[in-house]
Amino acid sequence: MTSEEIVEKIKTDQGKAINSSEVNLGDSVIFVGAERIHDIAEYLKNDPDLDFDYLSNITGTDYLNEEREPRFEVVYELHSIEKNHSIRIRVGLDEEDPTIPTVSDLWKGALYPERELFDMFGFNIKGHSNLSRLIMPEEWEGNPLRKDYPLTIEDVTFSHNREFKQDLVKSKPRTR
Amino acid sequence: MGLIDQAVDLLETGVSNVKENVKDVLDQADYDYSGAIYDSILTTKVGKVIGWAQKNALWPATFGLACCAIEMMAMANSRWDAARFGAEVFRASPRQADLMIVSGRVSQKMAPVLKTIFDQMPEPKWVISMGACASCGGIFNNYAIVQGVDRVVPVDVYVPGCPPGPEALLYGIIKLQEKIMNEAGTKQAAKRVA
Amino acid sequence: MTVTDQGLLEREKDSMTLNMGPQHPSTHGVFRVVLEMDGELVDSAEPHIGFLHTGIEKTAEAKRYVHVIPMTDRLDYLSPPGNNLAFCLTVEKLLQTDVPERAKFLRVIMCELARMASHLVWLATHALDIGAMTVFLYCWREREMILDLNEEISGVRMMTSYIRLGGVVKDSTPGWLQSVRNFVEYFPAKIDEYERLLTRNPIWLDRTQNIGVMSREEAINWSMSGPVLRASGVNWDLRKQRPYSGYENFEFEVPTGKNGDIYDRYLVRVAELRQSREIVRQALKNLPAGPYKVDDNKISLPNRKTLKSSMEALIHHFKLVSEGVSVPKGETYVPIEGPRGEVGFYIVSDGSNVPSRVKLRAPSFMAIPGMCKMMEGCFIADVVGIIGSIDIVMGEVDR
Repeated sequence: MTSEEIVEKIKTDQGKAINSSEVNLGDSVIFVGAERIHDIAEYLKNDPDLDFDYLSNITGTDYLNEEREPRFEVVYELHSIEKNHSIRIRVGLDEEDPTIPTVSDLWKGALYPERELFDMFGFNIKGHSNLSRLIMPEEWEGNPLRKDYPLTIEDVTFSHNREFKQDLVKSKPRTR
Repeated sequence: MGLIDQAVDLLETGVSNVKENVKDVLDQADYDYSGAIYDSILTTKVGKVIGWAQKNALWPATFGLACCAIEMMAMANSRWDAARFGAEVFRASPRQADLMIVSGRVSQKMAPVLKTIFDQMPEPKWVISMGACASCGGIFNNYAIVQGVDRVVPVDVYVPGCPPGPEALLYGIIKLQEKIMNEAGTKQAAKRVA
Repeated sequence: MTVTDQGLLEREKDSMTLNMGPQHPSTHGVFRVVLEMDGELVDSAEPHIGFLHTGIEKTAEAKRYVHVIPMTDRLDYLSPPGNNLAFCLTVEKLLQTDVPERAKFLRVIMCELARMASHLVWLATHALDIGAMTVFLYCWREREMILDLNEEISGVRMMTSYIRLGGVVKDSTPGWLQSVRNFVEYFPAKIDEYERLLTRNPIWLDRTQNIGVMSREEAINWSMSGPVLRASGVNWDLRKQRPYSGYENFEFEVPTGKNGDIYDRYLVRVAELRQSREIVRQALKNLPAGPYKVDDNKISLPNRKTLKSSMEALIHHFKLVSEGVSVPKGETYVPIEGPRGEVGFYIVSDGSNVPSRVKLRAPSFMAIPGMCKMMEGCFIADVVGIIGSIDIVMGEVDR
C-alpha cells in the first residue's frame, strides 16, 4: 500500500481517534494523543491490510526552542515485513506530566527504547516492566537529552588560560 | 683482572720496543685478548638488568573500549606484529598484566571501573593512553566523557590520533620501553614498586 | 540420582550470580552481563549498558551538519561509511536534493567495502572467542587491504568521512579503482580459506549448531534486524525492500537461514561477504562518468578552479564553510542496511544550520534484549558464542 492509501485507510477506520495525518516527504505520518496510542498501535498491528508487525524505532524529541505546546514528542516508526510499508506515529506529551502507556506488550522490541526515553528525557512509561536508568549511571540526576540540560563544554587548557591548567595539573594523580 | 694486566704488559713492552709499529701491537692485543675480556664479563647495575627484562616483556591488559581497540587489535596482528616487541600475550586478567593501554573514550560510568582495573594490576605497572579521547577527551567535550584518562590513573605515554594507526601505537610502546630503560636502576623505578 | 535429558544430575537448585564485567575479552566492547546461574546453566541474563555513552546525540545538537558527519563515523566504528551514508541520505531527503549517479556508485563501493571489513572483524573476533585463533590472523590480513584502500581514497584508515552531503568528498583516481579491482580478484579465494577452516569443522558445528535459536516470529517481535533476522528465515534486506543510493542497479542475492541459530548467522554473514564482493565488482564495471557531488553550491563546495573567476562561487564557499548548510524545517527518517542491521537517523530540523534532534536507530541496541533472552537455558560457554553471533558494537549501543 502506498503512503496515501495507508493514511486514507487509517482515517476511515479510526476517524476521531487520531488527531491528524499527513504524507510528509513520501512517508505516512499520523498524530495521536497519548491516551489513544495503545489502541491505535494494537489496531495497526492486528489489521490484516496494514499488518505492522515490526517496531523499528521509538524516539523522543524536545521542542523547547520552538516554544510549541506540547513540548515533548514521542515518535514511533513501524514497518510491515510482509507488505513492505512503513508508518510514523507522533505523540505529543505535556511538559508537566509526560506520561505514555507502553507498547511492549505488542512488540517486545519496545522495552529498551522506552527505557531510554525514561533515562534521557524523563518520560513516565506506564506499564513498563523495568523502568530504570539504562545509559546514564544509576545515580545520575537530570535528563541529558532535554534542551535545558547543559552540554557542559569544558575549557581546553591553552597558553592563554595557564591558571586553569595549573589547577588541573594539581588535581591529577601523581605520576610515579 | 689478570688478563687485563697481561694485556697492559704486552702493550707496554711492545710500545717500548720502537722496532714494532704501535698499530700492529694494538691489533695483536685486540685479536688475542678481545674475546677473553670483552665477551665473557658484562658489568652493569642490577636495576638496569631488571629494567631491560621488564621493557622487553610488557604484557598488555585488554582494555579496549572503542574504536582505538580495533587499531590495538590491528597492532597485535600479523602486519604490525607487537609480539616482536615483547607484547606477545594480551592478558585478559589485570592481575597478570603490567601494561594497561587505555584505548578509547572513557565515559563517566566507566571511570570507576577503569580505576578498579588499574588498582588490580600488580606493580610495577605502566599506562599508555591511546588516542585523542583517552588523552584529552578528544572530539567529545561534553557531560558524558572524562576529559583525559589522566584524571583517573597516572599515564606514562600519550599516543595521539583518532584512531592512532598501529604504527603510532608501536612507536608509543617503543617510547615506553625507552622510558623504562632510562628509569631503570634509579630511584624512580624503585618508587614504582611501592 | 536421576539424570535430566540434558545429561545433568538432578539436584537442588543453587543459584549463583556471575558478573561478566565491562572489561572482558569476549564481550566485544564494554558490555556487562549479570548472569544468574544454576551450575553451568544460565537462568537469566541481565544486561547493563552505558559504559561507552558519549553524548553524541546531544553534541550533534550544537554542531553544524558537516561537523556531525565525523561524529557519526565514531558510532558504529566498524563500518563508518555506513553511518555517514545514513546521515547524508536523511539530510538530503530533507533538502530534497538528489545525488549524481557517479556519487551513488562510489558511495555503494565504500559501503560494501566497509561491510566486508566489518564482517571480517566479526568473523575474526567470533572465531577467536570460540577458540579458532588462526581465523583471527587470516581475517585481519584482508581487512588491512581494505583499510589500505580507505587510506588511499580518503587519507584515513578507519574513520573516512568520505561520504558528505551532496555526494562524496573527492573523486576516485584510476589507480584506486585498479587497486579495488585487484582486491576483488583476490578476495574470493580467501573466503574459501575461511570456510575451509570453519564451515565443516566438527568443533565449530558442535559449538554453534542449535544454540541461541530464535524463531521467525520471535525475531520480528524482538526487533532484530540484519543478518540475525535473515538467519531466522525472514527475507528482509533494506537494499532490496527500500533501495537507496542506486542499489536497484545491482544484482545480488540475499542469503537467509532456516533455524536461526549461531551457525545460520555465520553462514549468512559469510555468504554476505561473497555478495558484497559481487556488488563491488558490478559497481566497478558500470561506474558512470560524471560529477561526484551535486552542482548546487548551497549544499556542496564549489570547484576550486571556479573560485578564482566567479564571485558567486567565492561567496557560496565562504557561507558553506563558515555557516554551513541550512536545512528546511521538517523531520524524517531514512533506514539503510548496515552490516548489523537497520541503521537510520531520525533528524528533526528547525530550519537553521544546526540540527534540532539527531537520533540513531542502532541495530545492536535493539538486539540486546533479544540476545539476553537467547541466553536463557544455555551453558556459560554458549553465552560467549551468542554475544559474538549477534555482532554488537557498543559505540552504537551507547552512542
